[in-house]
Amino acid sequence: MSTSAPASPPVPSDERVPSTEKTLRRLFLTLFLRGRSSRGLKKQTAPKSVGRKLGLTLGLYALVGLSALAFLKQSIFALTVYLHAMTFVFLGMFVASSAGEVLFNNQEADILLHRPISPRALLWAKVRVLVEVSLWLACAFNLAGFFTGAAGSHGNWRFPFVHIVSTALEALFCTGCVVMIYQLCLRWFGRERLEGLMTTAQVVISIAAVLSGQLLPQLIFRANRVVSFGEKTWWIALLPPAWFAGFDDALSGSAARSSWLLAALALIATTMVLWIAFGKLARDYETGLQKLSESVPTRAHKKGRRRWIEVLVDLPPLRWWLRDSVARASFLLTTAYLARDRDVKLRVYPAVAPFAVLPIIFMARGFGPGSSGTREFGIAFVSAFLGLIPMLALSTLQYSQQWQASDIFHAAPIPGPAALCHGARRAMLCFLALPGAVIMALIVWLSDRHSPQVLMLLPGLIAVPVYALVPNLGGQGLPLSLPAEEAKSAGRGLTMMVAMFSSMALSGLALLAWSTGWFQWFLLIETIVAVSLYMIMRRSLANVRWATLE
Amino acid sequence: MVSLDHLTKRFGNQTAVDAISFEIPAGQIVGFLGPNGAGKSTTLKMLTGMIEPTSGTASICGFDLKRDLMEVKRRVGFVPESGAVFESLTGLEYLIMVAALYGIPQNAARQRIGQFIAFFDLGFDTLTEKLLGAYSKGMRRKVVITAALLHNPPVVFFDEPLDGLDANAAVGFKALIQTLAREGKTIVYSSHILDVVERVCHRVIIIDKGSVILDGKPDELVAAHNSGTLEKLFTQLTGGAELERRAEDFAKTFRA
Repeated sequence: MSTSAPASPPVPSDERVPSTEKTLRRLFLTLFLRGRSSRGLKKQTAPKSVGRKLGLTLGLYALVGLSALAFLKQSIFALTVYLHAMTFVFLGMFVASSAGEVLFNNQEADILLHRPISPRALLWAKVRVLVEVSLWLACAFNLAGFFTGAAGSHGNWRFPFVHIVSTALEALFCTGCVVMIYQLCLRWFGRERLEGLMTTAQVVISIAAVLSGQLLPQLIFRANRVVSFGEKTWWIALLPPAWFAGFDDALSGSAARSSWLLAALALIATTMVLWIAFGKLARDYETGLQKLSESVPTRAHKKGRRRWIEVLVDLPPLRWWLRDSVARASFLLTTAYLARDRDVKLRVYPAVAPFAVLPIIFMARGFGPGSSGTREFGIAFVSAFLGLIPMLALSTLQYSQQWQASDIFHAAPIPGPAALCHGARRAMLCFLALPGAVIMALIVWLSDRHSPQVLMLLPGLIAVPVYALVPNLGGQGLPLSLPAEEAKSAGRGLTMMVAMFSSMALSGLALLAWSTGWFQWFLLIETIVAVSLYMIMRRSLANVRWATLE
Repeated sequence: MVSLDHLTKRFGNQTAVDAISFEIPAGQIVGFLGPNGAGKSTTLKMLTGMIEPTSGTASICGFDLKRDLMEVKRRVGFVPESGAVFESLTGLEYLIMVAALYGIPQNAARQRIGQFIAFFDLGFDTLTEKLLGAYSKGMRRKVVITAALLHNPPVVFFDEPLDGLDANAAVGFKALIQTLAREGKTIVYSSHILDVVERVCHRVIIIDKGSVILDGKPDELVAAHNSGTLEKLFTQLTGGAELERRAEDFAKTFRA
């Protein structure tokens, strides 16, 4: 038999061949818009789902962006600090949550790594899609800002053009930073710790983005919407959004020397980050993908050693609370995913963060002098929002990339989803609601140890078990049972909105009862209503039987 | 056509593939066998450029795996064990995308895809309307095999290619690889279904714990070891001799 090397496989040369870059860019954009898994779906129904949700998201961003109209009479610098700070938050969250999945997808290695694609082409195609979608989001949020900057009292016609450029720079900077962080993690810490680090980095970036998104507007409004960069406010130069705001101000605003300085910082920082992420470290990208595809044996636990959670569930009071073996198994499954699964962690913790932070900010505002009514409402509001935390966490826990594995629930000899839902709910109450309640009670108690106002926490705490059952109504909310792509559902948002209004109404009623001296009676009635609702909801859940799997 | 010289892969302290060397000429079908964790998939992943060898060299069609990686990749087709695909593309979108990565124009790609559809008896509607996530395991495997052969590679690596295929498709597939070999393609076939390997392959390489323990023609090896079948020879060599006793112990657990 011949062993001579054959030529490259023949390819007809008279037709136009799409370039690898173009093919990859189209591939990743399609995957982004459709999501990465879609069992049992047809082209007509499935592919548009994420795209349609993206349309809704863009609309929502444009609505939120209307807040920029409050800056009509402010300077270009104040307006753009606000716009860029908020854009930075949105982009940071988006890129952090998408980048891990887009850049380092485990399954992708088997599909693409043996094909003739250079690592640089692969990386650029992915980054291009990330930047493109980031820019759509940024433009939607900045729509009202474009108008405010052009038509405001300090505005001019140049503003929209300059702001588009600065926003594009910001998107490149954000994406470059996230890519650079991942690649540095890979280079410094190796494959074994890469996934853990990526998860932690994503969770921290997302939570930081949410927190700063809540805190930044507070800071700006506390400063009477006056922001300027000078000797006393030198620290502004440390904040990346201010660099890009400086770019806008230099080219379409005051053109002050300090703004030119910030603009130069924006250009230098963006260039540096892009050079490091896509020039210096691009070669490491293929190594990263290769390492993710290697099936390295994980270090085994010491023989006979049990996980801490397994020990905990064998001890009272959890042993008493988890007598049912199915609920116990579901409890352990939920805690394992809350602690280990990157996808679940990235969805649950950043989603819960605003609900944990918002009431604390609200309560803190009530601690000032002459704000006793606000403070009492704040405390009641804090505890009422506590119920929303397990509720939101449970509604997000039902989405997973391994949702197909939940078929095992249907195959097991259990009549319906009730026991599984109970286990997941108890895990959320145990590891999210309980620590939250303890922290909030401590904050209230430490702020004024002699105040009876700590009792205002009770109405919310009584309602927590009821709120936590809401996601499981009708047998819904089975943990890890729906595709991750379905996570952004408008229906879920509506349920959350109703729950938020009901918790605010509860806080208002509690405040009314407190101020009229009927608080004990209010607590008694609320307890009776909560217990009745809880019993009805539990019974209804217990009667639910498995629906047919389609 | 395929040449390995002391190819080694280590993960930390663990050696997955330990200095294996062999050569495969054009037109040969080689059964690449070994128990779970023997290093088969790691070897195939190294030969397709998916993971980097720790040491040693390999060349495919005269191109060195390290120096001319892109040239190697252009000449290699690979069906991975996972059968992974982008589930949110339709079958046709996926195959057109793969064709584009090898520089095959759309019209030519459609022509070739049409031939594969006919061979595998796939409905064109299925290929254009359904997303890959909705395909059965067997249908998905057919798409993955098509994607591996679309660019007409001179060397093809199959890792458990029959997984999920129905009996007819499996028979058709065996005929296909024999035809491909007759046309001069080199086929490396990794599988646990040993009777198929015995019937289809010209040569068998068995590896265990990262090292080659046997290399030769199936009938000659079976005769030399007086084992009757390749399956028996395989279990003899790879420590599966006590399987019946272990099965008995396992069943005892339930009796207790």
